Amino acid sequence: MKARTCIKCKGKGKGLCGRPRCPILEKFKSVQSISSDISGNSVFGASPPAIFVGSFGYPRVSAGPLIPPFAKEDDALLLEDPARWANMPIEDIISMRSRLVRANTTLHVKDAQGKENPLLAKAQELALSKNPVDTEAWFFKAPKLELKFDAVHTPMGPSGLVKNFELAENPKVPKKVDYLVYDTDALAKDAVLELYKGDVSGEQITRLFSIGLLGKERKVVPTRWSITAVDDMAGKELADKILDYPWVSEITLFSGTHFGNHFEILLLPRVYSFELIEAWLPKTVWSGESSWVGEDSEGLDGKKKYSSLAGGYYAARLPVLEYLAGVKRQASVFILREITPDYWAPLGVWVVREGVKNAFKNPPQTFDSLEAAVSDLAGRVRTPRDEWVQKARLLSDFRFQTTLNSFFNI
Amino acid sequence: MFKAAINAELLKDSIASLAVIVDEVRFRISPEGISVKAVDPANVAMGIFELGSAAFDEYSADECEIGVDLNKITDLLGIADRSDTVRMELDEVNQKLLIDVGGLSYTLSLLDPSTVRAEPRVPQLELPAKVVLNGADLRRAVKAAEKISDHMLMGISEDIFYMEAKGDTDKVRLEMGRDQLIDMKSGDACSLFSLDYLTDIVKPTNKINEVTLSLGRDFPILIDFAIANGAGKISYLLAPRIESD
Repeated sequence: MKARTCIKCKGKGKGLCGRPRCPILEKFKSVQSISSDISGNSVFGASPPAIFVGSFGYPRVSAGPLIPPFAKEDDALLLEDPARWANMPIEDIISMRSRLVRANTTLHVKDAQGKENPLLAKAQELALSKNPVDTEAWFFKAPKLELKFDAVHTPMGPSGLVKNFELAENPKVPKKVDYLVYDTDALAKDAVLELYKGDVSGEQITRLFSIGLLGKERKVVPTRWSITAVDDMAGKELADKILDYPWVSEITLFSGTHFGNHFEILLLPRVYSFELIEAWLPKTVWSGESSWVGEDSEGLDGKKKYSSLAGGYYAARLPVLEYLAGVKRQASVFILREITPDYWAPLGVWVVREGVKNAFKNPPQTFDSLEAAVSDLAGRVRTPRDEWVQKARLLSDFRFQTTLNSFFNI
Repeated sequence: MFKAAINAELLKDSIASLAVIVDEVRFRISPEGISVKAVDPANVAMGIFELGSAAFDEYSADECEIGVDLNKITDLLGIADRSDTVRMELDEVNQKLLIDVGGLSYTLSLLDPSTVRAEPRVPQLELPAKVVLNGADLRRAVKAAEKISDHMLMGISEDIFYMEAKGDTDKVRLEMGRDQLIDMKSGDACSLFSLDYLTDIVKPTNKINEVTLSLGRDFPILIDFAIANGAGKISYLLAPRIESD
């Protein structure tokens, strides 16, 4: 959002930014509603569990548990489980997540290699748990009301520097997690894959990776980087696996909308490749007055550099690969993600991951020709076709590049 | 049984020409030599590779088939000098290839051939046009095309062979008449090819005197050239892009 626009509007409902609601005010409303829950300088509640590691000042970062004051086990679980937020209005998600008080401490990322930092050790213990853990934190000063919106992170509430915090009960640690956390010979990458295959949730893997509990040379990793690292590692593993599977038999199209993000997912009967086009309509979270279209893709050999579309690229790729691995097929995958003004506050990269995952739950359509499929999907997006179709390299390859078996029986 | 010795550079070049198509291959070994036929995962290019026993310094073999990860061989040949001799012997029982080069002995684990994609059937081709040219000319045209486009057109028009690439605004064209070509059979030929593939395919042709291109209209191209002083042969079959509706 442009600061100048916000200053003119000051949340008076002028709607200068074009959003139906002011994300700044929404955030304040919910933060204010919990500030009464923070009595004095301490907070008590069941952490989902959730941990946050900032990237500012790296390698000296601020990190610590997220504690929702007075939350019981059942409501705490919901706070860190995006799969269950599907039908909630955006303002409810913001207000729910804003209850999470960040109990920060400053540490060096290499502190994870020793055990000298008692607060880090406690945060690690918390991260091990599958279920919410009652946690109490004492702050130097009452946690500060603060706005925290970001493209990758899920929203969070006020934060403060902690004197100390304690877990009021023992964490419940899944066996697989216990085993891999104590395995200091396994590379972080292998540990992540092992957990992923062992049905440990992506949120918990990210948490363990981020707080420096996986790998040989352990480090605390900012949450933002951890989320994408886990999406990427799991995605690469699946991409290798599906190369052995036969191609999908038909041109198949899935579509769905999640929090104002519309997804069209086209599976083409060809060797694996992946392309994502993001089309940001004017007046969405980051786009301002004009629209913006970006593209990135990979072939069989995967990506060598970090995607120009950042974390959203890896978050979109993972559920596609999960789907293909599930049906034991490979395909050339084209995704068009259109971000509409209904996505008025950034909620984090999980929106993309869950959005693609949910689109696969809708019944697909199949087509005889690429042209028919593209016409169909273009009818559901608002961005003019000319603005994105020239960027879609994968579609032009599918349409124009012939294969040998279209000429010979080989 | 398979036991052979070969010049390191020749083996390196041969492996590189196969690696254009696939990472894992089945080597078909016989008393006459080694052959490989493979199609790339996208089904766009086929490589047919033959290396006769005459290309080797020493060669003795029975009929057998082995599966090889080309990346591994490329890696270990990277350490060898061009003039080194590579000695190979197959340990059939343990499915290992023992490789001696430059005083180093490698034991290379082989792949179970049944896990490597089966050999394709090689089609019988009767293409209308044929051009024989110097490999360096072909390489030069491809390099120029790369600068402005992702594709290159190859065809014959009134006894002139041309290679042409069009970018959004620019165009590059190389024309060769009969006098600049080694040989030509004129015919109806004009097809467009992806430079992703062509670039890798023509990489080794810089050193090759005669490269034969067999062409048709919107039809796969066959690119042939000899290696190892005529004791070996590489052919690529590449499917075209067809952009006219």
